[in-house]
Amino acid sequence: MIDLTVTFPRLFTEGPGNLQLAVSLTSGSLTAVVGPSGSGKTTILRVLAGLETPSQGRIVVDDQVWLDHEQRINLPPQQRSIGYVFQDTALFPNLTVRENIAYATTRGQRTQVDELLESAGLASFASIRPAQLSGGQRQRVALARALVRRPKLLLLDEPFSALDDDATDQLRQLLRSLHRTWGTTTILVSHHKADVQALADRVIQLSQGRILTDQSQLNQATLTTPSQVIRQIWFDQAQQQWVIDTDTIQLRSVNADWSLLQAGMTVDLTWYG
Amino acid sequence: MPIDWEPIWLTLRLASVTTLLLLIIGVPLAGWLALSNFRLKPLVESLISLPLVLPPSVVGFYLLLAFSPTSAFGGWLLRTLDLQLVFSFSGLVVASLLYSLPFMVHPIQAGLENLPVSWREASYTLGKSPTQTLWRVLLPNCKPALLTGIILTFAHTIGEFGLVLMIGGNLPGQTRVASIAIYNEVELLHFETAHAYAALLLGLSLAILLLVYSFNKRVTTV
Repeated sequence: MIDLTVTFPRLFTEGPGNLQLAVSLTSGSLTAVVGPSGSGKTTILRVLAGLETPSQGRIVVDDQVWLDHEQRINLPPQQRSIGYVFQDTALFPNLTVRENIAYATTRGQRTQVDELLESAGLASFASIRPAQLSGGQRQRVALARALVRRPKLLLLDEPFSALDDDATDQLRQLLRSLHRTWGTTTILVSHHKADVQALADRVIQLSQGRILTDQSQLNQATLTTPSQVIRQIWFDQAQQQWVIDTDTIQLRSVNADWSLLQAGMTVDLTWYG
Repeated sequence: MPIDWEPIWLTLRLASVTTLLLLIIGVPLAGWLALSNFRLKPLVESLISLPLVLPPSVVGFYLLLAFSPTSAFGGWLLRTLDLQLVFSFSGLVVASLLYSLPFMVHPIQAGLENLPVSWREASYTLGKSPTQTLWRVLLPNCKPALLTGIILTFAHTIGEFGLVLMIGGNLPGQTRVASIAIYNEVELLHFETAHAYAALLLGLSLAILLLVYSFNKRVTTV
């Protein structure tokens, strides 16, 4: 479970303002953050990664406090269990594909490098440098590198933005497959509606640093598991909604009857569409 | 009149020792300045850059006062380490370290600052410290800046005159470097020997700069 509450003064497209967010993410979920340029999408990823410090806020990941303004806790990026795929991939040009992926690993994690090279379709490129790869291949290396330490949180900043249709399709399939295999809680920032529809099980739409809409959406993973055990039920004061967290999905409603539900109960989900 | 090679060798020795020591000092210093942001950073940068704007005689004068055995620091060096920096090769090295510091630090700092910030941030998110990031990612991608720093330091030390004269004087075999030898020969109206020294320094400096530009062109076009 990831709880994020932050206030961050910044300049938006429409002028100066505050990025103000209160979001809870279920473990193993894949959440897309969408919105116009300058709405604060990338800032959320940077705050979660510890690359930016908000003026106020609290970030708790699986009961570990990463940031708490009141308690003066602010873990540096090195101490946060994250994988970050940058928009420009940020691959290190002096290292080969294998060395890039193995950069952050310890000796005991070498087999994971081979496993990721194989599953990302990069085994035949292992000994060449990033400059010789196509845009799609570079993004696959960046994704494999971000996952190799088995982070608790995977942050993807517009990974498809510079790719052609074929490369986008391949990367989308790889991302879906790795997410299914590794089950890493993922936040995807994207401009492309198709990416969001194909991948995300929750979509948060931002506008000038505020949540405009926050919707769970149907995808293949949730459709195949209609019965869900309630892991946690709580009331989101900011949104004035009841929230149910299961292992794979988060449900929200303003229906007051939800207060009768308890953790451990099973809910049967019926999808219409 | 035959040329005395000793000032040439002494000059090359001084430049080599200074460059090597400044490489050891300057790389971590440039990395620290490029990767961190602290309140006193402008002061540190200003102190490093001071030799660029001060006349060598001003730097030499203050160092002469500081290194003199009658000063607190110079006296302490002499009593504790049996080291006299005035009119000695060691003194020339220490003075050259201070005077050539910006020529090593500035190119490397600028080279590091020009690398994409996302490389540094990616390394941090992969659990690596700023020091590990500097050695494994940033410096290997900053070779032209490193080479520029090394060569500029070497070339600048070869050309030092005022500072060397103030700290080292003109002791044959100890502190008489090529630039001072030229001055001596001109004073004695030995223009042919002065020509020979000057031509040697000119050729050496040109060769060094050619090497830098050729290497940088090769690195940036690969």
